[in-house]
Amino acid sequence: MKGDMYLAQSSDDAILKKSEHGGVVTSLLKFALESKRVDAVLAIKARNGNRYDGIPVLITDPETVIETAGSLHCASPNIARFIKEYLNGAFDMKIAVVCKPCDARGIIELVKRTQINMDNLTLIGLNCTGTLPSAPAKRMFHEEFEVNPSDVIREDLEEGKLTITLKDGTEKQKDLDELEQKGYGRRENCRRCDINIPIMADIACGKWGTDGKKATFIEVCSEKGSDFIEKAIEAEYIKVEKPDSRAIESRKKRNEEEILLARKWQEKDFASLREMSTEEKFSYWLGEFSRCIKCYGCRNACPICYCKDCILEADRGIVAPGEIPPDVIFPMIRSVHVMDSCVNCGQCEDVCPMDLPLARLILMLNRELGNIFKNEPGMDVNAPIPLKSVTDKELTVADVEIQF
Amino acid sequence: MSIEYVSTICPYCSCGCGIDLVVEDGRIIGQEPWKEHPVNQGANCPKGNNAYGFLYSEDRLKMPLVRKNGTLKETSWDEALDLIASKLKKASPEDFGFIASCRNSNEDAYVMQKFTRVVMGTNNIEYCGRLCHSPAAAALIPAMGSGAMQTSQPEIELADCIFLAGVNIVETFPLIARRIFRAKAKGAKVIYTDPRKTATARHLSDIHLQLRSGTDAALINAMMSIIMAEGLEDKEFIASRTAGIDELSSFLSKVDLKQAEEITGLPLGKIKEAAITYAKAERGCILYDQGMSQHYVGTDNVRNHANLALFCGHAGKPGSGINSMRGQINGEGSGDMGCLCVFYPGFKRVSEETAKFFEEAWGVNNLPTKPGLTYIDMLYKLSYLYVVGGDPTMAVPDVNNVKKALEKVSLLVVQDIFPTEIAKLAHVVLPAATWVEREATHTWIDRRIQKINKVVEPPGEAKPDWWIICSLAEKMGYKNKFNFSSSGEIFEEIRNCIPQYKGITYDRLSHTVGGIHWPCPSEDHPGTPTMFLQKFNTPDGLGHFQVVEFKPPAELPDDKYPYVLTTGRSIFHYHTGTMTRRTPKLADEIQRGFVEVNFEDASKEGIQDKDIVTLETRRGSIETEAKVTDEVPPGLLFVPIHFSESLANVLTIPALDPSAKCAETKVCAARLKAKINRDRTENESKLEF
Repeated sequence: MKGDMYLAQSSDDAILKKSEHGGVVTSLLKFALESKRVDAVLAIKARNGNRYDGIPVLITDPETVIETAGSLHCASPNIARFIKEYLNGAFDMKIAVVCKPCDARGIIELVKRTQINMDNLTLIGLNCTGTLPSAPAKRMFHEEFEVNPSDVIREDLEEGKLTITLKDGTEKQKDLDELEQKGYGRRENCRRCDINIPIMADIACGKWGTDGKKATFIEVCSEKGSDFIEKAIEAEYIKVEKPDSRAIESRKKRNEEEILLARKWQEKDFASLREMSTEEKFSYWLGEFSRCIKCYGCRNACPICYCKDCILEADRGIVAPGEIPPDVIFPMIRSVHVMDSCVNCGQCEDVCPMDLPLARLILMLNRELGNIFKNEPGMDVNAPIPLKSVTDKELTVADVEIQF
Repeated sequence: MSIEYVSTICPYCSCGCGIDLVVEDGRIIGQEPWKEHPVNQGANCPKGNNAYGFLYSEDRLKMPLVRKNGTLKETSWDEALDLIASKLKKASPEDFGFIASCRNSNEDAYVMQKFTRVVMGTNNIEYCGRLCHSPAAAALIPAMGSGAMQTSQPEIELADCIFLAGVNIVETFPLIARRIFRAKAKGAKVIYTDPRKTATARHLSDIHLQLRSGTDAALINAMMSIIMAEGLEDKEFIASRTAGIDELSSFLSKVDLKQAEEITGLPLGKIKEAAITYAKAERGCILYDQGMSQHYVGTDNVRNHANLALFCGHAGKPGSGINSMRGQINGEGSGDMGCLCVFYPGFKRVSEETAKFFEEAWGVNNLPTKPGLTYIDMLYKLSYLYVVGGDPTMAVPDVNNVKKALEKVSLLVVQDIFPTEIAKLAHVVLPAATWVEREATHTWIDRRIQKINKVVEPPGEAKPDWWIICSLAEKMGYKNKFNFSSSGEIFEEIRNCIPQYKGITYDRLSHTVGGIHWPCPSEDHPGTPTMFLQKFNTPDGLGHFQVVEFKPPAELPDDKYPYVLTTGRSIFHYHTGTMTRRTPKLADEIQRGFVEVNFEDASKEGIQDKDIVTLETRRGSIETEAKVTDEVPPGLLFVPIHFSESLANVLTIPALDPSAKCAETKVCAARLKAKINRDRTENESKLEF
C-alpha cells in the first residue's frame, strides 16, 4: 500500500549485472510489458552507447528494455513534452514512464490541463540530485578532471561530490560546489531543486537507504504503484525485503541534506535579484530580455505551456510580428502564464540561445506565488492551478504583490 | 508505431547547429534540442527551431519536368536526362556553364565541378559564394594564405575585443552572437560597423560606428593611423610574422584624419575609441560579412581589415584573426570542392600544373587550364546553363537584365527542391532531395566538417544532387569517371585529392559530435580549430600587408536619385526565401518585403508607416511597404533580399569588384515616392500583395 518501502533487487542476472544498483527499474519495465499492464514503456537510453546523448525511447519489446539500464546524469530530455506532443498525451495507449521528479511534475501539470491522460500512465520515479548539462559536462571532464570524456562510464552526485568512474575502473572525485562556482557542475535549475525523491510518481526508486548494497530503495507513492509493485513481486521479477529503520533514517537524512543545499542555492540566486532597487530590476530585466531573438524555444520546451494557439504567435496580434527583440510583453506574458505552475525542470533555459536566466526568474516568481496560494506545482494531480482557480474572495485580498 | 529522435544539423546559416528530428514511421513530426552538440548545446534560433518546416510543403518538386510547347510537363528521369545530354553534346566547352550552390553538399559540389571540367571540358563552374565571399579568397590568400575562417566558434568566447565588420550578427548568426554576449559578460568590448542601427547595434555593440555605406577602407586607414600615432601596433608581431610594413607605415603617415571623418561621417573621437580598444586588446577578433564584401571594393575592404589584424598582432591565436563568415550550410565546402572558375578542389589555382595533377588523379586527359567565366559573366555570355540550388533571377544585381539574358539561352537546366523563380525560365527542371533526404557532408563556417545522415525518403522521384549529376555523366558517356554508388565513395575521392580533408572519413565523422575542422592531414589528426598558430599559409609563412586606398562606391546619390539604397537579411528569412517563406511560423513573422525609411525622409516624401511606396534606381523599380524607422539614418534606405515580389536585386547595381567579381549590392542610388497611402485607402484588402 501507499507508503510501503522496500529494499529490492532484480531477479534477472543479466539486468542486475548491467545496472548500477538493484536493477529494479529495468525489471519493473520488463514486467510491465510482459504482463501486458502497459502497451509500451518510455525510458531514456544512451544513443549509440553515448552517455552524453540521452534520448527518450518508446519500447514495446521487453527484450530491449535492458538498453535503458543504468543512470545517465548528462541527459535532460523533455519527457512531459514527449508524451504530450508525440504520444498523444497517452490517451490511446498505456505507458510506464521512467521519470525524474521534474519530469513527473511536468506530467502532472499537463494532466491538470487535460493534455495527458494519467489513467494510462504508471510513473516510475527516480531519485535525482541533479543532471549535468551535456556539452559543458564533457568540457568539465576534459578540463577539470583531465580525462577523455568518452572514458567516463559512470557519474555519481553524492554528498556534495561529483565522482566519475572511468573505463579502467579508476575513480576521480571533485567538490561539486567548487565546480559549480566555476560555472561547471549541475544545470542551474537542478542546483536549486529541493525535490529529490519523486513522491508524486507512483513509485519512487533510488539508492539512498541501500547502504552500498546492490539494491534499490523503493517507496510506494500511490495505490496504483502499490498494485504494480505487489504484482511484480508476485511474478518474481524483483526480490524485496523490508528496509530497517536505520536505512529509512539514512535515506531521510540524505534527502534533508540535499534540500538544505538546494535552499541555499535558491537563497543565493534569488537574493541577488530581490535585493535590487526597482530601477535596478527594470534595467536588469530589460537588459536581459533585450537579447531575446524570439525563437520560441522556451515556449516550445515548457511542459506547462500547452495552448494549441499560443497568444504569443506572430499572427495573434499581441506581439508585433517580425521584430527582434520582441516587445517586452513577450517574456512578460510567458512568465505570467507559467509562473503559478513552474516545476523547475529548466528546459526553457536549456534551449535559450541567448542564455536568459528564465528558469531562475520563473522559479523565483513561483516561490512567491506558492507562499500565497500554499501550492507546490506538480505534486498532486488534484491540486487546482492557482491562477485559474482564484476565488472572488481571494481577489479582494489587499496588499498581495508579486515581486519581479 | 515507431518513434525516434534522429540527430542532424540545421540546414540554414553556417553555424552548423545540432537538432534532433522526431521521426514517426518515416515522417518527421517534430524537432527537439540536441543538447550534446558543441556548437549550440541544444539552443536554436528562429530558423533553427523551424528547420524542417518547408520539407512537406505541397509544391515540392517531385518529378523531372521538361518544357513542351511552352509549359513544363512531368516526365521520367530517362527522358529528362537524355534531353539534357543530347543538348549538351552540342555545346562547346566555352559555351557551357555550371552554377552550383552553397546549399548542396560537399559530395554534390565535387561531382558538379568534376562534371564541368571532365565532361564539358571547361572551368566555367561557379557557386553563389561568388556573390558574397569571393573577396575572402582574393584578399586573404595573399595576406595570410587562406580565405577561410581562422578561429573556431567556441574560441570566439576567448576574445576580449570583437570587431563586427558589417555583420548584423544577432540576426544572421544568432548562435555566434551568443558567444559574443558571453565574451562581453566577461568584459570583452564589441565594435560594430554598420550604417544601420540594427538589433546588433542596439543590444550587442559597445561602439557602434554608423559609417556611410561603403566607406570601410577609409575608416580602417584612419584607425591604423591612430594606432600608429599612439604607438599601439604590435611591433614584435609585425617584425616576426609579417612583411610589407614599410609601405604601410609610409602610407599611414599620410592619412588625413579630418578627411576620414568627412568620408565616413563618423566623429574622430569615436574612430579613435574603436581604434584604441581594438589595438589594446589581448585577443582582437574581426568577424566580417557581406557588409564589407558586397562592394565593388570588397576585396580592398577585406585586405584592409587584414592589415588591421596583422598590424595589431591579432591573428594566429585562438579567438582572433580576420574571419569571413560564410552564410550558408556549405558556403565553405562548395568553395573547398572547387566550384570556382579559378580553383580546382582544395583551392588549387587553375593552371597547367594543377590540371596535370587532376588529370592524374581522375585518370583523364585535357582538363581545362585557363580560368573560366565568373558567375555573373556566365549568365550573360553563355548559351548552356545548369543551375543547382540557387536563383540567379533573385540573387544577382540588376535581375531584369539577368532575366532577359536567360530568356535567350539554348538550354537552362534548373535543379532544385521547389519551383523557384528561375525555374519559370527553365527548359528542364530536376527535382532534388533536401538535406535530410540523403547522406552527405557539409563544411560549416569554421571549417567544421559534419556528416548528415539520411532521415527520410525524398518525395516522388526526387534524387540526391550527386546522383543526378552522375546519371547525366553516364548519359554523356562518362560512366567510368562517375561510377559512384554512394556519397561515401565520393567522399573517399574527395579526401584523396584535397589535402585539407585527407584525415577525415565517414567513420570518424559518425563518431565525432560537432565534426572535425580542416586542415586535417591524417586519420589520427584531431583537426585544426585555429589556423596560423605558428605561421601563415603564404609561401614565405608571413602575413602580408597590402596598402589600400579608399575608393568611393560606384554609384552615389545625386539630384535624380537622392538616396543610398542598401540591402540585407532578416533573422526570420533566408536568402531568396525558398525555404523560409514556405515555413509557416517564419512566414508569419515577416510576410512580405519592405523598405526602411528614416522618419525625416518619410516626412519629406509624405510617407507614413505601412504606405506602399515605389522605389526606383537606374536599373528598375519595385513597389513595397514603407517601414518608417530610425533603424536607418536620413538618406539611407534598406530593403531585405528575401522577397521575389518586391525584389531588392531589381534595383541593385552590377558594379563588380575587379579582383573578386563580387557585386556592389550594398550601395546604389535610389529614389522613393509614395504610391498609396494606407490610411487614405478605403479598402486595404484591394491591395495586391
